[in-house]
Amino acid sequence: MALHRLSFRLRCILAAVVCIFAVFWLLMLHIFVSLKVCQSERQIGQYYTLPSAHIRTLFPHGLPRRYQLQMKTFNEASMMVRQPALEVISYLKAADYSKPSLRYLFYGLKGSGKTMSLCHTLHFCYTQGWLVLHVPDAHIWVKNCKELLPSSYNTSRFDQPLQASEWLRNFRNTNEHFLSKIKTRQRYSWTKREFTEEGSPLGQLVDQGISRVKSSSDVVGAVMKELRAQSGQPESNFRLALAVDGVNALWGRSTIRKEDKSTVDPEELTLVHNLKKLMTKSWTGGAIITTLSQTGSLFTPKSSYLPQELLGERGFDSMDPFIPVSVPNYSEKEFESCYLYYMDRQWLQHPQGRTEEGKKELIFLSNRNPSMLDRICAFL
Amino acid sequence: MASHTSRGLLSLGRISASALGLQRPLSRVTYATNVSTNYSAGKTGLPDRGAGKFARRPRRAPGEPRTEKMPVDQDWTAVYPAAAPFRPGSVPLPVRMGYPVKRGVPPEKKGNLELIKIPNFLHLTPAAIKKHCEALKPFCTEWPSALDTDARCDAHFPIKAESTDYVSAGPSVRNPAARTVHLKVKLSSLNLDDHAFKKMLKLVGERYCRDTDTLTITADRCPLRQQNHDHAMYLLTVLYHESWKTEPWEAEKSVADMEEYSWEDSPSQRNLLDTLVRVEAAGEGGGGGEEVREQLLGRREVQEYKDSVTRLKNEGESESTVMLYKEAVKKVFSLTRTYLMRRMEPGVPRRDVRYHPIRFL
Repeated sequence: MALHRLSFRLRCILAAVVCIFAVFWLLMLHIFVSLKVCQSERQIGQYYTLPSAHIRTLFPHGLPRRYQLQMKTFNEASMMVRQPALEVISYLKAADYSKPSLRYLFYGLKGSGKTMSLCHTLHFCYTQGWLVLHVPDAHIWVKNCKELLPSSYNTSRFDQPLQASEWLRNFRNTNEHFLSKIKTRQRYSWTKREFTEEGSPLGQLVDQGISRVKSSSDVVGAVMKELRAQSGQPESNFRLALAVDGVNALWGRSTIRKEDKSTVDPEELTLVHNLKKLMTKSWTGGAIITTLSQTGSLFTPKSSYLPQELLGERGFDSMDPFIPVSVPNYSEKEFESCYLYYMDRQWLQHPQGRTEEGKKELIFLSNRNPSMLDRICAFL
Repeated sequence: MASHTSRGLLSLGRISASALGLQRPLSRVTYATNVSTNYSAGKTGLPDRGAGKFARRPRRAPGEPRTEKMPVDQDWTAVYPAAAPFRPGSVPLPVRMGYPVKRGVPPEKKGNLELIKIPNFLHLTPAAIKKHCEALKPFCTEWPSALDTDARCDAHFPIKAESTDYVSAGPSVRNPAARTVHLKVKLSSLNLDDHAFKKMLKLVGERYCRDTDTLTITADRCPLRQQNHDHAMYLLTVLYHESWKTEPWEAEKSVADMEEYSWEDSPSQRNLLDTLVRVEAAGEGGGGGEEVREQLLGRREVQEYKDSVTRLKNEGESESTVMLYKEAVKKVFSLTRTYLMRRMEPGVPRRDVRYHPIRFL
């Protein structure tokens, strides 16, 4: 009797499992790759979902605007696995972290997915437990500055308290768990009465910067210096991933003006100066992943996208040697995947969007450029 | 009878025309009812004014245009022996010119002012040119037989002086533009060493074309062509001698003045050597100083890197140069085995990439 019941139950369970698998196979037009499975080149073109908890901590400020809207609409964060990001991830896996950190640069046409590749790589680093130092757009530090203070540390430089404090807030969000573990190695005095003692946790330094907005730029400099000194040391147990989007802003021109209407060189800004030091001085135990961006850049022609055009002489010489990674438009397979994803999400409402003719029209209109495709499909 | 009256009318008409100059349309209107309205195909032009009194001599019908009678193998040089305006009746081509009206075509050639306004070269057909050449031949001397190729001409006569003569019909035969002289020389035919070549480029600036290696000196300062020619030759001589001299201030030439990028002593070399020294130090933990740098410079990957950077800077940027640079950097940092190279080497047994262990902290 019991055996009979058992076998019946087993049969029911088996049937249920088979049904679920069949349903899965039928419904899934494309496979969502889970985080745990290593991403290899066999999965190029497939979408993988980032957990929303990760999004909140890792990307408070990093994702492109349109992608954030898409996330809100579809209620999930799905990113396509593409070759440039996989390439950099493979280099990260293979690199030796006792040697000086390497610089990687994503470059490509406008809207081809450089920032998304950067975010993908950064997410990989985050899942590996690295400390993430993400500068979402270096261009916002060199333009539209509402408050410019002369720096207290070095009179020839200028502070930007608002941008610095915002960045510190986001940094604290992203790296909560590291802030108590890392200790400062130097004593910092902010004013005559405010100090940060040696050996105090990094979190205290960051809080100091957020609460005392006036000294926030110097705090950013101190944080960068500490992390640079400590990463790669045998006693520290973290790896540092420095991600800068729009790195050509550091060596370009700025639109900020001093009181006597002369332009401020980016080198004269504390934030930019410290970031450049972090990027160019050799440190071990991490990687520097950057993107070029023409969209936010100042005084650069619209058609330029190659590294030397956007970085300029000084930028190229400072970044040298780096590994440039090209981010092309979608390949045919990737375009198919994106199209199927939009269909799956019911994003293409127009009846003609679902036909072969419509697909050919989409290919023609967008030239397989990811952002153009996104904008066009938004109308359909 | 008719002719008598018409003649009388004609005289009267003339007087009335002079007297009533402006009122001709009026008079036409006033006497319109009296005028005979049989405009036969032959009679065109002004209607008879005033009951046949002011009738003009009827115009002769125009004959058929000459184009109808032209044979196909005619001598065109006889039709247009010299520069002449366009005559629709003489050109047997169905040419149309002008902006078309809506849903129409450009207007035809008959009575087309546009065709008459523009210059035409109907007098310079190949047949006409041949005739000109035949006419000029008695005045020419033979081309030297030894100078049969361009290369030989360049070898024997490296300096070419170009000037233009102008012929026009007008009050004066002189044309001030005829005094300009262009002197063209290939710098490879001049005896210049490296320093002299670079100095020459800086001295002449825009006058040198890199693609054809030609220096062009244009002289038009003097009123006569002979003087300009001498001036241009003088300039060439001075340039040549000056570029061979080395002035003391030339020692202050900086990196920004250099024509080409050289990797030695560049920030790129410094950065790379710094990084590699640190890499070596991290790996072995010993040594240092000059011999390490020398050894690093001698490595094949470093040489490749140097080539790629030089190419990138000198030839400008393109996808291919950037890819070469990327490959060179990957080789220097020994990252070639990881990603793409695996796919490109079919002989190497493919390790399964999927189960590559993730490195945790």
